Amino acid sequence: MLWRPEDRLLYEYDGLSSRRVPDAVAFPRSTEDVTEIVKLARREKVPVIARGAGTGLSGGAVVTEGGIVVSFARMKKILEIDIPNQRARVQPGVVNLDLSLAVSDVGFYFVPDPSSQKACTIGGNVAENSGGPHTLAYGVTTNHVLGLEVVLDDGRVIRTGGKVWDRPGYDLTGFIVGSEGTLGLVTEITVRLTPKPEAVKTLLAIYERVLDATRTVAAITAGGITPAALEMMDGITLRAIEAATHAGYPLDSAAVLLIEVEGLREAVEEEVEAVEGICRRHAAREVRRARSEEERELLWRGRKNAFGALGRISPNFYVQDGVIPRTRLPAMLEYIAAVGEKHGLLIGNIFHAGDGNLHPLLMFDARDSKQTAKVLVAASEIMARCADLGGSITGEHGVGIEKNELMPLIFSPDDLAMMRRLKEVFNPAGFFNPGKVLPTGKMCGELRIQVGGGA
Amino acid sequence: MIAAVETIQAELAAIVGDSAMSAGPDACRPFAVDGVEPRLVVYPSSAEQVAALLRCASERDLAVVPVRNGTKLGVGNAPRRYDLALSLKSLNRIWHYEPADLTVVVEPGMKLGDFQHFLARDGLWLPLDPRGGARASLGGILAANAAGPLRGRFGGPRDMVLGMKIATGDGKIIKTGGRVVKNVAGYDMAKLLIGSWGTLGVIVEVCFKLFTRPAARRTFVFHLGGLEAARDLRRQILKSPLGPLRMALVDGNAAEIVEGAGTKFETRNSKIETRSSNFELRGSNFEFWLEAGGSQNVLARFARELEELARGASVQMDKRDDATLVWDRIADFVTLVTENSKEAIVLRVPLPLDSSEEFLRMALDETQIRAFVSQPGSGVVTLVLSGEASGGNWPTSAASSVAKLRDLAEKLGGTMAVEHCPAEWKPLIDVWGRPGNDVEIMRQVKAVWDTKGVLSPGRFVGGI
Ligand SMILES: Cc1cc2nc3c(=O)[nH]c(=O)nc-3n(C[C@H](O)[C@H](O)[C@H](O)COP(=O)(O)OP(=O)(O)OC[C@H]3O[C@@H](n4cnc5c(N)ncnc54)[C@H](O)[C@@H]3O)c2cc1C
Repeated sequence: MLWRPEDRLLYEYDGLSSRRVPDAVAFPRSTEDVTEIVKLARREKVPVIARGAGTGLSGGAVVTEGGIVVSFARMKKILEIDIPNQRARVQPGVVNLDLSLAVSDVGFYFVPDPSSQKACTIGGNVAENSGGPHTLAYGVTTNHVLGLEVVLDDGRVIRTGGKVWDRPGYDLTGFIVGSEGTLGLVTEITVRLTPKPEAVKTLLAIYERVLDATRTVAAITAGGITPAALEMMDGITLRAIEAATHAGYPLDSAAVLLIEVEGLREAVEEEVEAVEGICRRHAAREVRRARSEEERELLWRGRKNAFGALGRISPNFYVQDGVIPRTRLPAMLEYIAAVGEKHGLLIGNIFHAGDGNLHPLLMFDARDSKQTAKVLVAASEIMARCADLGGSITGEHGVGIEKNELMPLIFSPDDLAMMRRLKEVFNPAGFFNPGKVLPTGKMCGELRIQVGGGA
Repeated sequence: MIAAVETIQAELAAIVGDSAMSAGPDACRPFAVDGVEPRLVVYPSSAEQVAALLRCASERDLAVVPVRNGTKLGVGNAPRRYDLALSLKSLNRIWHYEPADLTVVVEPGMKLGDFQHFLARDGLWLPLDPRGGARASLGGILAANAAGPLRGRFGGPRDMVLGMKIATGDGKIIKTGGRVVKNVAGYDMAKLLIGSWGTLGVIVEVCFKLFTRPAARRTFVFHLGGLEAARDLRRQILKSPLGPLRMALVDGNAAEIVEGAGTKFETRNSKIETRSSNFELRGSNFEFWLEAGGSQNVLARFARELEELARGASVQMDKRDDATLVWDRIADFVTLVTENSKEAIVLRVPLPLDSSEEFLRMALDETQIRAFVSQPGSGVVTLVLSGEASGGNWPTSAASSVAKLRDLAEKLGGTMAVEHCPAEWKPLIDVWGRPGNDVEIMRQVKAVWDTKGVLSPGRFVGGI
C-alpha cells in the first residue's frame, strides 16, 4: 500500500488527464489480496479504481471522487502457456509485449498490439478492448480473450468462459471485455495465442496528396485485400517523426501509408503486387519495400514512437479517437483539415486507416486557455461528424471520463438506461470506477489535457 | 392470469393485422418446441411490431419463443410455458449494404443461403457454416452462436457482429455497437445476445462485418486408419503455416451420411440401421477432410505439402475440386441424422484443441457411439448416440452415457451440451450440464432484459 501523499501523487494521472489524488494505492499479489481490498473498501464505502500501466487515453484509471487505486503492477505472472491448445493464462498485470515475447521462440504471439505494448498491461487491454496496428486482419482484444476471473463488488470471485469456446450460458466474458473497469476487477485472463505468419512484407507508399492516400485505403478494402496492417501518417506527423527517429520517411510528402501483408509466402507475394498496383493507380509517388528485417523495423519504429516525437513540435497535443466507414476517409480528412483551419489549430493525423479508426492530433499550448478551449470545441466537432457518418466516438481508447458526456451522440436514452441497468447487476453501488463510461449529466469542460497520447 | 386466446388475438391483431397471425392446432403444430405447442403464431413485419408484441406479451404474461425456420428449435430444455410463436419470417430485408466497406445491416429472418447468394454477386461472404446450413436464419445462428468447421479460421458469429438492434422482453428497442469495424463505445451488449437462445430479447437488426471469398478452393481427403493418425495429421497441419479454410474428421458412418450415400441412417421402424449388428466403430476408417482456399499458387502449395504429409504417414489422399455439397452436409450433419432417426441423441462437445482425439478414443471405449464429426480446427466434436446396440433399456442407458461423456469432456477441460434428443427423454437427460459460478449473474442479466420472464422461459442453462 502507498499512503504518503508524494507517493500517491504519481497515481493521479493516466495517459489522458488527472483529477484527484487517490486516498491510497494498493498492490495486490493475488486474487485473495484483491478480494480483501474490495471487502475493506466496501466496508469503508470508498470507490475502487483498477489500474494497469496507466497508459489509457480516456481517463479510465483516473480518480474522480477519491478512493483506492488497485494497481496490478505486482500481479504480472504468466500462469500457464499451453501451446498445444494455443492458449495462455495470465495475471492482469502482465505487460502486453512480454506475453508475445514469452511465446515467440515457439512461433506464437498474442495478436492485440497497441502501440503502447511495451508498457500497457493485458488487464488494461481487456478493460479497454484495445486494438493495434495489427488487429485489422485478426481482430481486437475481445476476439482473443476466452475466459476471465473477476472479483465482484461483494468480494465474490466468478469465472467466466475458459479455454474452450462455448461454455453454456451468456457470454459474460465478451460483455466484460471493454467495460473499462466498471464491472469488477479482472484478476486472471485466458487468451488465445496465434501462430506467427510464415512471410511478412512491408511497404511504404508515398503521396503528394492526402486525398490519394485515403482513396488508396478505400480501394484496398474494396479490392478484397485485408492487409495485416494499414496505417496512415500525414505530412505534419511525418516530419515530426523523422526529426526524432530518422526512419527514412520522406520529408516533402503529404502522406504515407505503411502497409504490411502477412501469411503464406505465395499469398503474400501476390498481395504485395496487388497492393502496390493499387497504390500506383492512386498516384503514389513512390512505393518502397522493406528489403530486410532491419528496414522493416525502422519503418515501424517511426510509427510506434510517433507520440514521443510529436512532443517536440508542440508543447501539448490532444489525441482524438473516432471511427468512420472506410469509404468516407477522403471526405473525413478534408473535414478535419477544415476544422483545423477554422479554429487556427495545427492538426496532424496518424492512424489505423484500414479500420477507419482516426487519430487526429490537435496541437496546442495548454498555457493558453483560449487555445485549449478551441481544441475541445474542434475535437467535439470531429466526434460529431464521425457520429453523423455512421461511425463511433471511440474505436479503441475507450470512453472513460473523456467521452461519457458524448455518448448521447450515438446512443438513445433507452440504450444508455439498458447499459446502466446491466452495470448495476455487477456493480450495484457504483463502487468500481465511478463516473466512467456512462454520462453523469455534468459536462466536463475542464478536461486537463497532458502532453502524450497515442494510437 | 392467463388471458383468453380471443382477447389476446384482438390485441395482437391490432399490432400486426389479422393476416399476420394464425391460431389453431394446424397452424401452431409446426412451431412446437419439444412437443409444447403455442396457442398463436404471429408474423411481425417490422422491428416496431416485434417490440409492440413483446410489450403486450409482458403485460399479459404470455410466454414467447422467437422462431424462424426451426433448424435449432429442438435444442435446449422444453419451455416451461409457450403461448406465442413469434415468427421472424417477414423480417428479411437488407438495410445498409456497403460492399466497399465490407459491412451490411440485415434483418434476422433472412436465411443464410439467401444472404450468401446476395453477397456472392460482389465476391463477398459471411464465413459461417453452421448447423441448418443454407436454411438457418441469421437470427437463429446468432441466438445459438452457431458455427461449423470454418470457425477455426474465421471465428464464430460473435467475432463478426459489429452492432445490433434488439427488442427487449418489455418491448423497448435497444441499439448496441454500430456499423463500423472497430468500436468500443459503451458496453458490448451484442455479446450477451449472441448465444442467448432467445431468452434475453429478439434481435431485430444486425450489422455484420463481411469477408472476401477465396479466389478458388480445393478439398483434400485423407483416409486414416485410426485416431492417432488423425491426431498426428491435425498437429502437423496446425503447426504448418498453411492455414486451411476448414477441417473435419468423420468416422466411416458419418462419411457415408455426408457423402450422400446415407445407407446407415435410413428410417426403418424409426431406428438407426447399422450394417451389422456387431457395430464396431473403433477399428473403422476415418476420413480427414480439409478445404484450402486462395489463388492457384496457394492451392498448389497446399497440394505439395499435404501430399508430402500423406506420404510421410503412409496414408492415402484424394483431391476434389468441388466438394461444396459435402461441406454443406458436414455443416448440417445434425439435421441429416435427426431427420432420419427419431431416437438419435446428438451431443456437442467443445474441447481444448489438442484433446478431441483423446476424447473420442475414450468415448468410443465407453459408450454406444454411432457416428461423429469432429472439427479439428476448433476442437468441437459432434457425436451421435443410439440405443439400438445398447440392448433394451434405451433411453435410461442413454442418460447414463450422456452423463459419462460429460464427465469425460469436463475432465479434459471441455464441456458438453445435448444438441438433439427426443423430447420425451429430456426429463432424464441434462441438456446443458452444470452451470458455472457465474450463473447467478446470468439470472440477473436475464431479469434486466426480460423483466417479466416471458422470453423462452426455462429453455436455457440453469433453468433460465
Ligand atoms: C503511446 C501510446 C500509444 C497507444 N496506442 C494504442 C493503440 O494502438 N491501440 C489502443 O487500443 N490503445 C492504445 N493506447 C491506449 C492504452 O495504451 C490502452 O488503452 C491500454 O490497453 C491501456 O492499458 P494500461 O495497462 O495502461 O491500462 P490503464 O490505463 O492503467 O487502465 C485502463 C483502464 O483499464 C482498467 N483496468 C486496468 N486493469 C484492470 C483490471 N485488472 N481489471 C479491471 N479493470 C482494469 C482501468 O480501471 C482503466 O479503466 C496507447 C497509449 C499510449 C500512451
